[in-house]
Amino acid sequence: MASVTRQLSRRSVFEALLHRSPISRAELAKVTGLSKQTTSEVIDAFDQQGLVRPIGRTSGNVGRTAVLYELSPEGGHVLGIDLGARMTVALADIAGRVLAEADEPTDSRGGTWVLDQIARLAGRLARDNHTHPSRIHSIVLATPGVANPKSGAIEMAPNISGLGNLNVVGLLGEKLGSPVTVENDINLALLGEIWHGCAQSFANVAFLALGTGVGLGLYVNGHLVRGENGAAGEIGYLPIGGDPLQAESRLQGCLEYQVGAAGIVRRYREAGGSDINSVRQVFERAQAGDAIAAGVVEETARLTGLAAATVIATIDPQLIVLGGSVGARPDFADKVARVLLRLAPRPVEIRTSMLGKRAGVVGALSVALRRLHDELFGVAELAATLPLPPPPARASSALP
Amino acid sequence: MTFESTHCFAADLGGTKLAAAIADARGQIVAELTEPTDRRGGPHVAEQIAACADKLARGAGIDPARVRHAMVGVPGAIDPLSGRVSLTPNIAGLQDLDVLGYLRDRFGPDVSIENDVNLAMLGEQALGCAGGCRNAAFLALGTGAGLGLLIDGRLFRGARGSAGEIADLPIGRDPAALTPSVPGSFELEVGSLAIVDRYRRQGGTADVTVRDIFRLLEEGDAVAATVLDTTARWVALAVATLQSLLDLELIVFGGSIGVHPELYERVRRALPAFFSRPVITARSQLGDRAGLIGAVCAAAQSLCQQQTPAQCAAAPGTHPAACDGAAECRPGD
Repeated sequence: MASVTRQLSRRSVFEALLHRSPISRAELAKVTGLSKQTTSEVIDAFDQQGLVRPIGRTSGNVGRTAVLYELSPEGGHVLGIDLGARMTVALADIAGRVLAEADEPTDSRGGTWVLDQIARLAGRLARDNHTHPSRIHSIVLATPGVANPKSGAIEMAPNISGLGNLNVVGLLGEKLGSPVTVENDINLALLGEIWHGCAQSFANVAFLALGTGVGLGLYVNGHLVRGENGAAGEIGYLPIGGDPLQAESRLQGCLEYQVGAAGIVRRYREAGGSDINSVRQVFERAQAGDAIAAGVVEETARLTGLAAATVIATIDPQLIVLGGSVGARPDFADKVARVLLRLAPRPVEIRTSMLGKRAGVVGALSVALRRLHDELFGVAELAATLPLPPPPARASSALP
Repeated sequence: MTFESTHCFAADLGGTKLAAAIADARGQIVAELTEPTDRRGGPHVAEQIAACADKLARGAGIDPARVRHAMVGVPGAIDPLSGRVSLTPNIAGLQDLDVLGYLRDRFGPDVSIENDVNLAMLGEQALGCAGGCRNAAFLALGTGAGLGLLIDGRLFRGARGSAGEIADLPIGRDPAALTPSVPGSFELEVGSLAIVDRYRRQGGTADVTVRDIFRLLEEGDAVAATVLDTTARWVALAVATLQSLLDLELIVFGGSIGVHPELYERVRRALPAFFSRPVITARSQLGDRAGLIGAVCAAAQSLCQQQTPAQCAAAPGTHPAACDGAAECRPGD
């Protein structure tokens, strides 16, 4: 068999297994259009590589039953990491099944301490799932800011100390024994929503994240928009919500100074509210009828609506997803949508992030999985990547 | 019919004038004209476009039947599914007209319509100052405000064809004011009517055009200077917004107002106060022909794509090669 032909056969059998397991050899041949003999050769090869396993037999049909196959969890693993004030690490198998997830506060000492913590969590997840870290073939790390492609350091991420002058990509790769890709956490949260969340099957989506800071992820025509220097979506400096020339705006960003977590708390205090130290309290008080808090929340929604209106006028997305600890709060999306009705002549649908805190790590897994699939089954002659498997029927309950 | 003898038609429809050209299969313009847009709007304008094609073909001694591909730039958003044009306040009756259907009746199936500013972006990429750019914008400031976007090397039109409809940017009045901005607020600050109005309100002569204001500026008119300073400040805010969202490698200033050095330089001076990272800008190199040239490039490319690869290869200079030889301009200088 010519080598490209063989690659293509392996790829289409793998794709069928990814999307239609459990499946018999006969059914695989039918779905892929390959001959029964070729299908069997590929399945036998996959079996020897540990990529597939039999999981029962067909039933109910007249005649002999056939063995059903699915992708084996031993076929390879991927790791997704979301690094913020807390870190989430998730392990998935080659079929995209999330096997385990762990979550703990990020080591405040920063720098190499954080990298050690990631390695420890990853090792624990691997051991608990009876796999060896060497079976983890693809790792994606979600962080605030952007990774410098030359130094491997993570820049523009002021909330995690000591990563700006460390070769995070190189060091973490050494510790984990596999190449590591770093991607902006908001971009990955957006990809998470597209794979498993509220933006499935959308081709033009904006993800507006409000939490400690503010940020935007853009997905247009099926691709992330990163910008010329990786700084697309750094919307903290949008001239919204205040005088862009005043000192605080220039230092912290005009929009972020108002709608970042600290900005919301500050505005509540400035309006005469007292005794609080977190955004959550502002929202809880607004819910409980505190008029000052309600006003601050309304103003936050108005400014978020203005930011969304700039996105609509410029990018014209099909959908805007609100995420982050503040953005994903219940009712907030409705408030923003109401503001948009007044602001934008062509309002678009606003949805609340479905994956919440997990969006980043799910997005990291999706990229890691795609990379593993391309490594194993990429065909140089085909530009397109393999489509990711659909989300499990009950995505969240499948998790520990 | 040979590929060599096939021609394409390009037009750029504006609120006040219509520019049109016929080009050969290599993208070389063989005849070009400009005339005032038919004020009656709607079907009259569509008819005018078709008449231009006939006029140009006859004038150049070309059989109109050999004009096979047409690209028409229109000042509005084009629905990607229906082909309907919307947001065209400057031309009456275009909104309700199936422009594309009408033109296809006249020219056959190989007709496309495209937003005029998108075509200007393509023109600058092909022959102007955005050669080799993958992430760039054409910021058109004139009667209204519009934006053509290039993302990852390709035009970006948005989910409903209204990407870049920046007239609606919520930039204007007082961004800190509690009352919400209204739709169209950016255009209400920087459109030609807004500039004239600002000049009047600040005590200038009542009956002026933007062109007059630029002339008065040269004559030392202080009100004109203030008016342009204010306008430039709003434009700089919009540029800061675009750059925050998209991190572009180049923003090309075009349109009769955007391309004017007095406005352009004021925006450049205002920008660092609003945006801390460097922004690379340039004035449109093709000026008011940017849209037409973009349309010619697109039409010639569409013509070329319909030929066999051998024919395409046998036509040296066909797009994009037809579009090289551009003098490079150094953005930001």
